[in-house]
Amino acid sequence: MEAFDVIVIGGGVNGTGTARDCAMRGLSVLLLEKSDFGVGASGNSSGMIHGGIRYMLSDRKVTERACRDSGYIQRIAPHLLFRIPFLMPFTSRGEAATLVEKATWYATEVYVGAYDLYQPLKRGKPSTRLTPEELYALEPALRPGLGGAVTLDEWGIDAYRLCALNALSAERHGATVRNWTEAAAVLREGGRAVGVRWRDVLTGETGEARAPAVFNASGAWSPALGRRTGVSVPMRPGKGTHLTLDRRFSNYGIICNAVDGRQMFLMPHENDSIIGTTDDDSYGDPDDLEPTSDEVEYLLEGVESLVPGVRRARVTRAWCGLRTTLYEYGKNEDELSREHQIYDHAAEGAAGLLSFVGGKLASYRAQSQEAADRIAALAGKAVDRCRTHEEPLPGGEALPDPAALAARYGVAAPAAARIAYRHGARAHEVLALCDEDPRLKLAVCRDEGILAAEIVHCARHEKVRRLQDLRRRCKLAVGACAGLDCARLAAQLAAHELGWSADEARAELADLLELGWRERRTILDGHQLAQEELVRAAHRGLGDL
Amino acid sequence: MTAAGSLQTDVLVVGGGLAGALAALAARDAGATVALARRSPGATALSSGAVSVAPDPTALPSTTFAARAGTVESARRLAALQPGHPYAAAGVALDRLWESLEFAARELPLLAPPSPRPRWLATPSGSARPCGLCQRSMVAGDLAEAKGILAVVAPRGHLWFDAGLVAGGVNRLAALGAPRAVIARLDLFMWEEAALGRPHDLARLLEAPGAAEAVGAMLRRSLPAGAAAALFPPLLGLSTAARVPERIAHAAGIPVAEFLSDLPSVPGLRLAAAIDERLAAAGVELVRGELAGRGPGEAVSAGGREVRARSWVLASGRFVGGGIARRGTLVEPLLGIPVLASDGPFSQAGAHLASRPAASLTRRDSGSAQPLLSAGLKVDADLRPLGLDGRPVHERLFAAGAVIGGHDQAADGTGLGVAVFTGYLAGRSAAAAGGRLVPAPRGVRA
Repeated sequence: MEAFDVIVIGGGVNGTGTARDCAMRGLSVLLLEKSDFGVGASGNSSGMIHGGIRYMLSDRKVTERACRDSGYIQRIAPHLLFRIPFLMPFTSRGEAATLVEKATWYATEVYVGAYDLYQPLKRGKPSTRLTPEELYALEPALRPGLGGAVTLDEWGIDAYRLCALNALSAERHGATVRNWTEAAAVLREGGRAVGVRWRDVLTGETGEARAPAVFNASGAWSPALGRRTGVSVPMRPGKGTHLTLDRRFSNYGIICNAVDGRQMFLMPHENDSIIGTTDDDSYGDPDDLEPTSDEVEYLLEGVESLVPGVRRARVTRAWCGLRTTLYEYGKNEDELSREHQIYDHAAEGAAGLLSFVGGKLASYRAQSQEAADRIAALAGKAVDRCRTHEEPLPGGEALPDPAALAARYGVAAPAAARIAYRHGARAHEVLALCDEDPRLKLAVCRDEGILAAEIVHCARHEKVRRLQDLRRRCKLAVGACAGLDCARLAAQLAAHELGWSADEARAELADLLELGWRERRTILDGHQLAQEELVRAAHRGLGDL
Repeated sequence: MTAAGSLQTDVLVVGGGLAGALAALAARDAGATVALARRSPGATALSSGAVSVAPDPTALPSTTFAARAGTVESARRLAALQPGHPYAAAGVALDRLWESLEFAARELPLLAPPSPRPRWLATPSGSARPCGLCQRSMVAGDLAEAKGILAVVAPRGHLWFDAGLVAGGVNRLAALGAPRAVIARLDLFMWEEAALGRPHDLARLLEAPGAAEAVGAMLRRSLPAGAAAALFPPLLGLSTAARVPERIAHAAGIPVAEFLSDLPSVPGLRLAAAIDERLAAAGVELVRGELAGRGPGEAVSAGGREVRARSWVLASGRFVGGGIARRGTLVEPLLGIPVLASDGPFSQAGAHLASRPAASLTRRDSGSAQPLLSAGLKVDADLRPLGLDGRPVHERLFAAGAVIGGHDQAADGTGLGVAVFTGYLAGRSAAAAGGRLVPAPRGVRA
């Protein structure tokens, strides 16, 4: 039986962030993720390192911490962040405005102005007030009759890669990192949690590991793990659904109000746009979660109130996750705190077991630091000081120039730019594969700028065990083409790297396509439906997948 | 046919894919004057290049090729199991399936004559499809007939197709009667521009004088012992006239075939080109551009020309072709014919199939039949689209191909078989539909 200082359960942003922090401070770490990094709330979040302006009224501390940490994340992963300026339009003209509306504008300006106090922490630009003319010049697709807007500045991120990079960094600092390996049971002896029995869900291999500290960061899966372990992990899981549009539909993020008055948004994000989000209590199985028609309609209707043309937009995916908010009875979902808490299960006869609940993606690093402090105390080890705000994540060491990369390696500039975005300084390693084998310059996805070299690099160096892991490493088969062009080629490349048989490659391909279908079936309309017909003919009709 | 600009014709076919082409050719063959209107090349160019027709729906995965039903019997079984399928809707006319396959092969000489048993053709993703009709360039790759060892050619210079996946798929079918597949690696496409080419680029490279011969000579040197045929990636020329498979086979001294293609599809492009060529030779008037009009007997505007036809064949495809569209609700955009047919729970009249949310029309397991993907027009036994009252919307309006709903080609494996069969029948019926030019088609949207 292997022994560690800490076993971290869950490969979301808190699990991987904590594993990295512990490993960097000299603890021996085992990280277990039953699927792949970020598949839960992290990857299915809005993909923003935002300052949490929404929480300013209720949780100003959350706002401040998020802003400060946003600055740190920009420092350690500069390649992975991008600025998203937001517009918060006023929904009536000055001359027609009622007293209540004028008061609302004033309150909004004060609100955003107060948020400005925190903006320097995350290199955000200060808010400005736009006249109606300025607003329509910036965003002509907005409905007529708006009374101007205030702006605020946020940051977007590829949250799946953020999780994967934390896991890879943890591994480079000595952690044992296992994805597709579940914590089957927490081992208990004499009132203590002493380790974990794990099972590799792909190979069936099982094993036991012991540690004085077991850190449960399994998010929405915590209640189930708690039930298996005989402890209680109180939380209010909330289902959040997002839609992806096939292009950058607006120039700026636009904050809208849904039919029930909730705040929601349409925002450009990497090559696409995202509409989000719903927030509904969920009592369902986190492994059996799908977006519903009414969530899709709710989101489109909310954006339509300010951007009528969104009804003609091509929705490419609907996707959802469960955020874990702290348990409180008698509150609406939106009123629940976005604070986090670390529960110690000692009183339930499981000393040494900690559970993490709540928190924000933007504050993952600070949350992980706090968790690592608690873990070090449990493990009884003197540890180094936290350095996760200083030391870059893999690829964050430098920002390569895409044009120079394109020229050096003889690849298309847009592909070089996307690879530089995803891999930062490691884009050189990715593209250097083309020097050895020029065939690897072949475009796998022209939308996302995926070259064969990137598939090979991810398969070799980024803990890819299944084809679907490439959805999260390099956005394989999640775009408007729905995997028509890329899926088989990527399966071939991955099969070659990972030693899959023809049957295994086919099984992986079928699995990848099935995941895509689940995300599309509620939104199939217009051109996306025509694309589905093509994908279905090629992969199911012809390929019998 | 009258003077410039305006066109009088017996039959107007809407849609230029395989269904429309066969309707036009069948009507022309029956002596009618025919115009074919299309706005773009049909979805046939996006096909594998072969015609599946019908897999035996009663076969188990372990049933050998030899023990499976032939093409016509398979279609009959499918019709019996799926009453909403176009093969079933056609009723006794299904007896003419074989006739339609023979007609297609006669009209489009790049197709090999049909064989009573389907040909089992390998696919790029490691499976095999039974095909009632295929291109001549594919025949030697029939896994049900091939003997000895099948050499699966792997061009070293290009990553698009993976001979390992193809050969693995063939070898998995050994118990069903497939030959043993062995990979033959060739130093083909070994320079960078070729390595980054798309399939159609590679197909053109092989057409060049001497190129196919060089490949054949290379193949002869690399053949595994006991090889009885060589199976190439579907890149053997964009043009049939370039005779790429024949030239390679001659130089290699062994029969040569290509496996089926996914997208982009060189055999699909080849089939589309063969259709165009044949339509022109058969004297079908081709009208390009958008079509606006109300139905048979009425003057319509097609690509800016006025066209008047006694009968119509609607072969406008499904979602890719644009014959059926969903914009919040399912519609047939040209004539406003109601979308009533689908494979699944909402196929009964009055179930308001068209306006249901996508989630209600899809099932979670993508492998099951999907009502949304199988949505289209409901037709009577003469292939006339039906209105909400269950009666034909017009006595001389026929439908062919994927615009007819009730089947999900991808799930039931019929592929282009429905296009060939219904195209042929609709073309014959349209040519035979008599009567003068009369206005006011009943039930068609004003």
